[in-house]
Amino acid sequence: MSSRVDPNFKYTLKGFGKGDWNECYHCGNCTATCPLSEDGFLFPRKGVRAIQMGLKDKLAGYLDPWLCYYCGECSKTCPRDANPGELMMTLRRYLTSVYDWTGFSGRLYKSMKAHIAVVIFLFLSVITVFLILADFSIPLGTTEEGEKIVQLNAFAPHEFISTIDHILLGILSFFLLTNILNMFIKVVIKDKSIRVPIYMYFIQMWEGIFHFATQARFSKCEGKRTYWFIHWFCMSSYVIMFAMIIFFLAWFQTDNVYPITHPQRWLGYYVTIGLIFGSVYFLIGRFRKNREMFKFSHHSDWIFLILLFLLAFTGILIHIFRVSGLPLATYIAYMVHLAVEVPMVVTFVAFSKWSHLAYRPMGIFFANCKKAVLRKQYKMQVSPAF
Amino acid sequence: MVDVEGVAEEVGKLPNVVVSRNYKYMCSDPGQELIIKDIKEHKLNRVVVSACSPRIHELTFRKALQNAGLNPYMFEMANIREQVSWVHTDRNEATRKAKALIIGAVTRVGYHEPLDKRTVDINPATLVIGGGISGITAALEIADAGKKVFIVEKTEYLGGHTARIDLTFPHMQSAAQLLAPRIKRVLNHPNIEVFFNTTVDEVYGYVGNFETDLTQNGKKVNLKFGNVIVATGLKPFDPKVIVGYGYGKLPNVITSVEFEQMLKKGKIETKEGKEPKHVAIVHCVGSRHPDYHEYCSRTCCMIALKYANQIRSAIPDAEIFDIYADMRAFGKDCEEFYLQTGRRNVLFLNFDQQKGLPRIGTPLISKASPNEKFEMIIEIDERLSGERIEVPADLIILMVGMEAHEDAKTVAHAVGVSMCGNQFFIEKHPKLDPVATTTDGVYIVGSCQGPKDIPDSVAQARAATARILGTISRGKVEVEVTTAVVNEEICCGCQTCIKVCPYKAIHFDEEKKVSVVNEILCKGCGTCGSACPTGAIRSRHFTDIQILSQIKGVMSLEVTEI
Repeated sequence: MSSRVDPNFKYTLKGFGKGDWNECYHCGNCTATCPLSEDGFLFPRKGVRAIQMGLKDKLAGYLDPWLCYYCGECSKTCPRDANPGELMMTLRRYLTSVYDWTGFSGRLYKSMKAHIAVVIFLFLSVITVFLILADFSIPLGTTEEGEKIVQLNAFAPHEFISTIDHILLGILSFFLLTNILNMFIKVVIKDKSIRVPIYMYFIQMWEGIFHFATQARFSKCEGKRTYWFIHWFCMSSYVIMFAMIIFFLAWFQTDNVYPITHPQRWLGYYVTIGLIFGSVYFLIGRFRKNREMFKFSHHSDWIFLILLFLLAFTGILIHIFRVSGLPLATYIAYMVHLAVEVPMVVTFVAFSKWSHLAYRPMGIFFANCKKAVLRKQYKMQVSPAF
Repeated sequence: MVDVEGVAEEVGKLPNVVVSRNYKYMCSDPGQELIIKDIKEHKLNRVVVSACSPRIHELTFRKALQNAGLNPYMFEMANIREQVSWVHTDRNEATRKAKALIIGAVTRVGYHEPLDKRTVDINPATLVIGGGISGITAALEIADAGKKVFIVEKTEYLGGHTARIDLTFPHMQSAAQLLAPRIKRVLNHPNIEVFFNTTVDEVYGYVGNFETDLTQNGKKVNLKFGNVIVATGLKPFDPKVIVGYGYGKLPNVITSVEFEQMLKKGKIETKEGKEPKHVAIVHCVGSRHPDYHEYCSRTCCMIALKYANQIRSAIPDAEIFDIYADMRAFGKDCEEFYLQTGRRNVLFLNFDQQKGLPRIGTPLISKASPNEKFEMIIEIDERLSGERIEVPADLIILMVGMEAHEDAKTVAHAVGVSMCGNQFFIEKHPKLDPVATTTDGVYIVGSCQGPKDIPDSVAQARAATARILGTISRGKVEVEVTTAVVNEEICCGCQTCIKVCPYKAIHFDEEKKVSVVNEILCKGCGTCGSACPTGAIRSRHFTDIQILSQIKGVMSLEVTEI
């Protein structure tokens, strides 16, 4: 089956980052220098060629951007300054929109105005809901021991918030899961060259989970230990926070201020430090462009990092005001915190940057299934996990 | 490796040897002086130098003999450098071999005869075969120098393939602007005579004095000239033989020659008169392919880039595909031209000549289904991606290669030049003598010698002109004296020699019934001499007695066991 050439594809791709790859003359230095590129999964040069020729069908089945951690070696060695590393980020955004069957993702990526508008609309909606439903005049309460505490659960009962969270989770999970199914169809089912037997998915499953938890592929990228740690710290913080909000909100959102030795406070601090440190590190990096992967920033990167920072920052404010016994300030901080959280979750989880948290381990999982078949059938030299 | 002193001493003892010397640089001026002094002092009548190869210094020593008043052919050289000291390791054996070679030379030189150099007058007129850019450039150059030129052109117009080109690469100059003033000058030049619709069937004679008979408008014309420039040019490859391209079946698959005509007319359109939105240019049609021509036609890559530029300018929103096997952008400003074209939104696709359907390395062109927005589909194995891809096209331009004319053989036979396997004419030396041929007075310029662009053709034309004007200004040319000569008493008239002569230098005298050697055409190769069954043909300076005595001399040292 041959693929149709479309030279105008670059105009489509432009909205997702770098569209024109004309500088590349296919010397192959990028692929040669990449520590993660291997037989059967060669990148990034092949992807550049597919973009130049506009082979949309082929690109839809590419796993390259999920296998790459953007160490930037390829861009550093490129003799034509074509920035092959940026190809990965551009393709990641493009593929996210390809997997998304609603088309919402493409709109957010292609237009900064649309993305900001959606974020502001959701932000204001949450504020409005709070102003209408919530009672800001609830005074300080008293514990059994007689200490004065802010009655946050009276202002925003965790049962109510939890219900809203679950509804939101249900909707977004539906989109994300259907998008992953779409990805599976495009990447595995449509690839007629490799047939993956069903038992292989079970054999390889643990590696997908392992990579989700550790991001161990980073270890192959040279000089990336610090970066790996910050990226992993930030990711794990977000995941823990997510789990606490969705499943353990009753335990997490308490009116009582527990002593400093209580695990609730440890986890809270861990999450806050992870998010603040990560978002500030990435924001400064993107601002100063001091690393290859920070040189090009799409509007989705900026919006994501700013919202992440605001989320962590308002979380700290809630904590400080609550501990200081300031009810009104706590309520306002809580409102803003949720007003940041909702647009962040809605726009990013299933449709934009955040979805790579799901797509990357899935990509590695699918790639590992394919690699296992390649090793078996063609005796190809492909490493199993990394 | 050779005991030179010993050899010199022993050679001195040979019969007929008056004086034997050892000197380090015999070819130097003092060395030559030494020879001249000895000739005068000892009244020598023959000289043998045993040193390097005669190819290097035979002429030097012949000149020394001439300066001393001897006939230069009373000289023989024994090569004890390339044949002895450079190739042997055993000193005694090497010395013995050197001695044997020198004895051979000494016995041979005894049979040398004095030979006289001969010269012939040059007819200053020149015949130019072919009126393309090379032919007319050469003609104008010679005519401007005040010499007569005859141009014989097969068609009814001048300018050849250049006249069919719209713009030239890489500077996008108009070919018509290059050509028109030159054609006008040729037609009005008092020294140039043009014969249209005429071909040259046979050229007689030799350098300086050629002759031909032409038929023009039914009248016979006899031309006499001293030099010939062959500028018969090229023929575009006919892509009908390549099945996968569908040329001749699909109306919008056209050759580069047809596209040039379209450009000259000023409108790029399909056969249906529509503006093509997808244009594909296919390189290497008939070139670099084992089934057609294995050579590269050199100009098509750049012409293809020129088309891409012209199409982009004419139809700004067209999708342009340049389907190439290897991009050859050599030459001044050509690589820059390639880069520039790449920036004009042209998609370059590299087809793999090792893979593909239906035969090695050819893209496959077929009609698209009627509900597509374009007319044709080109299928290729794209090399840089390793994918089999489909390219949409409304108009496909096949970059046809250059090949030799069908009648190249006739021309080669008429003027006496040889052809390579691809029917292109062969130059005398590919590097050091690129426009002359093995026949003196016959020069090849332009694409009849091999695929060439306009600057190269013009450069060759001017180079040949310089050679010809040089010969004309000398007035005479020296001709070979070591020629064959027929002993008419012994010749039986079998004409074997005429059949074997590679230079057409022997003809048959019907009256005397013997072969006659034209000593000006004869190169002294000796083929006729060895073929002659009666021994009637003698090659001067290489007579039987000279060669046999040399062999006898070499063998005179007793053979020791090896």
